[in-house]
Amino acid sequence: MSKLVLQSLTKRFGGLVAVNGVDLEMTEGEILGIIGPNGAGKTTLINLISGIHVPTSGNVFFDGKDISTFPAHERSKMGIARTFQLIHPLENLTALQNVMIGFMFAQGMNQKDAGVAAQKTCESLKLEHVERDVGQLTILETKKMEIAKTLACGPKVLFLDEVMAGLNSDETKDLIETVKRIAQEHNLAIGVVEHVMGVIKMLTARVIVLDAGEIIAQGPYNEVSQKPEVIKAYLGGEA
Amino acid sequence: MSKYIKTIVMAAVAVLAVAFPFYTGAYPQSIAQSVLTYMILAVSWDMLLRTGQISFGIAGFFGIGSYAAVLSMLYLNLPPMLTILIGGIIAGAIAGLLGIAVLRLRGMYFAIVTLAVAEIFRIIMTNLKGFTGGPEGELLPQLIFQGNPYLTYYLMFGMAVLTIIISEIFLRSRVHYALTAIRNDEIVARSSGVNIFKYLVIIFIVTSVIQGMTGGINAQTYGFVTPESSFSLDYTLLPLAMALLGGIYGTMGPVVGALLLGIVSEYLKLYIPYGHLVIYGIIVVIVILYMPQGIVGLAARIRKAGARNE
Repeated sequence: MSKLVLQSLTKRFGGLVAVNGVDLEMTEGEILGIIGPNGAGKTTLINLISGIHVPTSGNVFFDGKDISTFPAHERSKMGIARTFQLIHPLENLTALQNVMIGFMFAQGMNQKDAGVAAQKTCESLKLEHVERDVGQLTILETKKMEIAKTLACGPKVLFLDEVMAGLNSDETKDLIETVKRIAQEHNLAIGVVEHVMGVIKMLTARVIVLDAGEIIAQGPYNEVSQKPEVIKAYLGGEA
Repeated sequence: MSKYIKTIVMAAVAVLAVAFPFYTGAYPQSIAQSVLTYMILAVSWDMLLRTGQISFGIAGFFGIGSYAAVLSMLYLNLPPMLTILIGGIIAGAIAGLLGIAVLRLRGMYFAIVTLAVAEIFRIIMTNLKGFTGGPEGELLPQLIFQGNPYLTYYLMFGMAVLTIIISEIFLRSRVHYALTAIRNDEIVARSSGVNIFKYLVIIFIVTSVIQGMTGGINAQTYGFVTPESSFSLDYTLLPLAMALLGGIYGTMGPVVGALLLGIVSEYLKLYIPYGHLVIYGIIVVIVILYMPQGIVGLAARIRKAGARNE
């Protein structure tokens, strides 16, 4: 059964339709690519699923349950986790403490258990320097910490919003392997938003292409990338 | 090593504070009690600030507690200690009801509303003549502990210790993580499972109970309430300045700030009776411009730099 089901999900901001009638199903163990030009509605879609926005119409089902109006912290506890396009490490806390928050609040652990669990998660991601203040981490370490923060919430569905942005090619390879590994280890349904098509190609079995809030194509990356409507959405004009 | 030093220093300060009334006169003692009062308010203000919310409503809850303590004694004839507790409970209950509405606001909007709320309660107390004594306020027939200044000092001291303990518990428990996450980024906090509204309401109630009880103790000590004195803007502005001077987001900062500014302002008051607030203002401006982390933050930076040089 599908873990996450979206039914004609729509979000309007005033006159702008950011997400328009999106139908989508995600199953465990699957990595789904979410691509589309800037302003296509990729991040808004994640915001609707994680509860940051309430949909104007349509529904979000998780484990068969309609969670369209659930607050974000409830969805986090149910197992919907996400990273943010603009990363927000929590300042005045160490990397480890950043990771502990999910264990404490999404999974309800006490402080001591959360510390142990966070340490383990960081080790599994090969994230060192966990005692450092977040300001002193490298970009790759920060990105790994952001992923560790989502794993700390005990996710079943995970969205990665441009986690590869700003990394060089070695670091990107490192993180691709990491994402593949956690998808298997935790049997996650992962949605990956990425502008680097090489990443999408290496990571995902299936992609959806959003344009102006609508899914204009879906299927394996190699097929989808050849479709004229996709090329048109990216390049504009008559393709 | 430094842990030992810290413990010794804290023990010494505690002994000093407890012994204080025995080797000084009535005047230093009353200053000490006033410093303690502002210290409690400064620490409680900082506790809410740790969520990122700036309150200008300290005087409001302080005044509500003062009035609740005095009126419950006058009308219900309750024992003074109980009326102090009632001051806290009523301040907390009002904070809870208000918080459900007001804690949806952020930043400047929250700050302005808390200021307005304090003012509204002052006006209500001024106008409910038959019940609150109107602009003249109410006098108590007798003072708590028959006006024994030792005992009122110890009562306020006990309240300060309680406030510091609550503040430290919050800093060492999961509450600290929730509040720090909320202050940093509410969306990230929510996405990590933090029920931000619940934490905001809890902290708002706890700090208001502290402020209300402090108002109650103050009113019982001096035996009267008036709208002007009980809701005085001093109770909002001085604790705020003290916390900023000492350093925010911790217990030590507001405590140090209250000691310094409290004593300095009393001293200045003797020499420049009305001008002391000007100097007060200048200190605050300089601190905000040049030491944004306050004295405690500056000391920590110096310590770190020293450790690197070794």
